[in-house]
Amino acid sequence: MDPVIIVQIIIASILGAGLYTLIGIAPGTDETAVLAPVTIALVLLGFSPYVILAFFISAIVAKKLTDSIPVAVAGIPGGVMSAPMVEHAMTLKEHGLPDHSIKKMSSGSVIGTLVAIPLSFIVGSLIIPYADTISEHSGLIFTLGAVLLALLAKNKLLSLLIIIPFGILLQGLQHLYWGLDVIPEDTSIFVSFFLGITIGPIVISLIELIDKNHRDSLPFLGKKEIQIKNTKKEKGLPNPIKILDKHETGSSAFGSIIGTFTFFLTPVGMTVFIGEFMTRHVKDPVKRASRALATMDGVTNASYISGTLIPLIAIGLPMSPMAIGPAAGLFNAPPEFTPEHNIHHLLTPVEMLTVSVIGAGVALLITYYIIIRYAQNIVRFVFKHIPHEALIGLFSGLVVMLAFMDAGLLNIFGTLLVALVAGLLYKNGVNYGVMFMVLYAAPWLLGLF
Amino acid sequence: MSEENKSLFDIWGDNVNLKDLLIAMLICIGMTLGGYVIAPGEDPQPLIAGLVGGVIGFIISSIIIKPKREINDIEEES
Repeated sequence: MDPVIIVQIIIASILGAGLYTLIGIAPGTDETAVLAPVTIALVLLGFSPYVILAFFISAIVAKKLTDSIPVAVAGIPGGVMSAPMVEHAMTLKEHGLPDHSIKKMSSGSVIGTLVAIPLSFIVGSLIIPYADTISEHSGLIFTLGAVLLALLAKNKLLSLLIIIPFGILLQGLQHLYWGLDVIPEDTSIFVSFFLGITIGPIVISLIELIDKNHRDSLPFLGKKEIQIKNTKKEKGLPNPIKILDKHETGSSAFGSIIGTFTFFLTPVGMTVFIGEFMTRHVKDPVKRASRALATMDGVTNASYISGTLIPLIAIGLPMSPMAIGPAAGLFNAPPEFTPEHNIHHLLTPVEMLTVSVIGAGVALLITYYIIIRYAQNIVRFVFKHIPHEALIGLFSGLVVMLAFMDAGLLNIFGTLLVALVAGLLYKNGVNYGVMFMVLYAAPWLLGLF
Repeated sequence: MSEENKSLFDIWGDNVNLKDLLIAMLICIGMTLGGYVIAPGEDPQPLIAGLVGGVIGFIISSIIIKPKREINDIEEES
């Protein structure tokens, strides 16, 4: 590879790690909503695919490392994925070991990353021979994916029932835009519908709050109280393997291997399942909690990385919950990337491996060092100076602009419609995954009729 | 001071004040979309202007809006 590109990769990794170290700490941030719009914007800006992949890998590694910090320091999850860990972090806190959690979790993350990157390349290469067959039947596979995720959803019946109607909504808008000559016949809308689904739950909560009766019916909510413990500062760069004992390292590594092989399943589900399964037999509560934290963080990291890299290496189609969600921009962000022309087609597997290793390495070095040393300072800064309102504002701004960019003023309202429907469905127990799968499956599925 | 008595709402995992949220959204949407529409020049430029607008909007909102979090420090021996 060209040295200029390598320098660009390193810069992109540093920026990705820096930005998502801060975002990872902000409470409640949803992975898809914070990762996808930024990645898509970078793709549309025409950055080189090397830079985009490095930025993304570095961002997920940094975000996974940092979103465990608020769990450990303040007991509130920094993201959807860290929610299952709160209970175990609380156990350690009750036993007076709050700074234990952070170290166990970050070390688990490091192990997950180290396991997942090489293993993803092996698994990816094993799938490559079948890639053509898979691509030929992608419409069918996405439809089956939607059905599978629907069966795993909270509200199975509604999730199954909604597959075709939701497809009609998306394809209906698409054909309306074509019919009205809002967009040319050879382009299709992806980004804005995708983001519409992502912000659906926020939009629905907001709309409900406009109703005064609904507002009054909610219990009074004051400021969020957050307790931050002051613990001693660490010196030097600790070795992640030394922080974990043999059992913890083992179960974290083993969990990460399973997490990599199950890249096509939902990461949250696998994290809870593997984390509980591998630690159920441990009696001592403190040991059990530490092992669970190390394992869960490993699994989360591994399933995120493998969910991105395996489909990228093998097929170039988003064949995992991770790839249809947070990593969507790497597969599809027309006109720059399409399912026929994306990072899979532009980079060789070896180049992807190199870029991922650099991205993850930079993120681990920067973030791991920063976390172990300055966790409390960063948490305090983010909690004190970054209002949640501004974060929601920024993401709504990005969505509105990208909707306008896709198909003009009309599409801002079209995207709002998609968001409203998606939000209502989400509230009634239909997963994001089902809706994202429908977005990919709809053209083929409705073409059957 | 009436702000203190108003209830906050939980949106997207954290507590927000409805009025502040609407202000932040207006500022950010205005700045991103405004940047995109006003920007002169060829293809990636409007997007760049829009993104820069979004970041400026985010900074403005962060300055004028206070986070709704109460931080208590607990000293710990060890």
